[in-house]
Amino acid sequence: MAIDIRHVGRRYGPFQSTVCADQIEAFALVVAGGVPGYFGSAQGEPRPFSTLAAPLTFGVTFAMRPFALACTDPELGLDLLRLLHAEQEFEHGAPVRPGDVLTTVGEIVDVRSRGLLDFLTVRTETVNQVGERVLVARWTAVIRG
Amino acid sequence: MKTLADFRAGDTFELTREADRYLPIYYAAVSGDFNPIHIDREVGRAAGFPDAILQGMCTMAWLADACTAYLGDPARVKRLRVRFSRPVVVGDVVTFRGRCVAVDGPVVRLEVEARNQRGEEVLKGASAEGWLEEG
Repeated sequence: MAIDIRHVGRRYGPFQSTVCADQIEAFALVVAGGVPGYFGSAQGEPRPFSTLAAPLTFGVTFAMRPFALACTDPELGLDLLRLLHAEQEFEHGAPVRPGDVLTTVGEIVDVRSRGLLDFLTVRTETVNQVGERVLVARWTAVIRG
Repeated sequence: MKTLADFRAGDTFELTREADRYLPIYYAAVSGDFNPIHIDREVGRAAGFPDAILQGMCTMAWLADACTAYLGDPARVKRLRVRFSRPVVVGDVVTFRGRCVAVDGPVVRLEVEARNQRGEEVLKGASAEGWLEEG
């Protein structure tokens, strides 16, 4: 069943999130299998990357919430067993570092149908404590008919 | 670290990662994505898959790693874009094959193909942009 176009413009947030170094390390360990660069060495050697920052897709931890809320919003009534993550786009701004206090807002920006498939797109924008934009993301779900 | 002059259209890079049985659970813990389709085999089957499926964002994280390794620094990656064309199922091995398609001023444009061990595409239209300082 097509998603009602009246839901376009529906907003979620703002949500606040404080970035923690241990959380970055745990995330990097799981997704990167310990790629050198995100970890301090036991000898205190400098990290090889110029910017100690969160991994590029760490945004899932602070920016996915509006998307998750839209997917489970009773007003939309989507069937979660038929729902899959279809598309994703990240546009990175300032790096995300431990101690940052991030604020994310999200909005349903598109609903559309193609054959038996329905698509829902949420755009999120995250800024840090000094107002720099750190991430603009577009999250698209597909609901299989 | 490589500088802008070191990047050329036609360069290639590759990364292979495996979605072992526990990965979706570990990824749920660090990402907050506990959708049961990722951590419960029965829910994965109810949704029509042979097993639990990996979070798409984890596949995207691998893509980011492949691009970061080529570009040399995560701070250089300004844009990532993917379509998840087929779920990565527990047990799958995914190989990312990337190519530099253009260097436009300071922008290094990458396209990446990702296939499972059966040669099926798990991502379509995956691309990244690296932004480098001149010189």
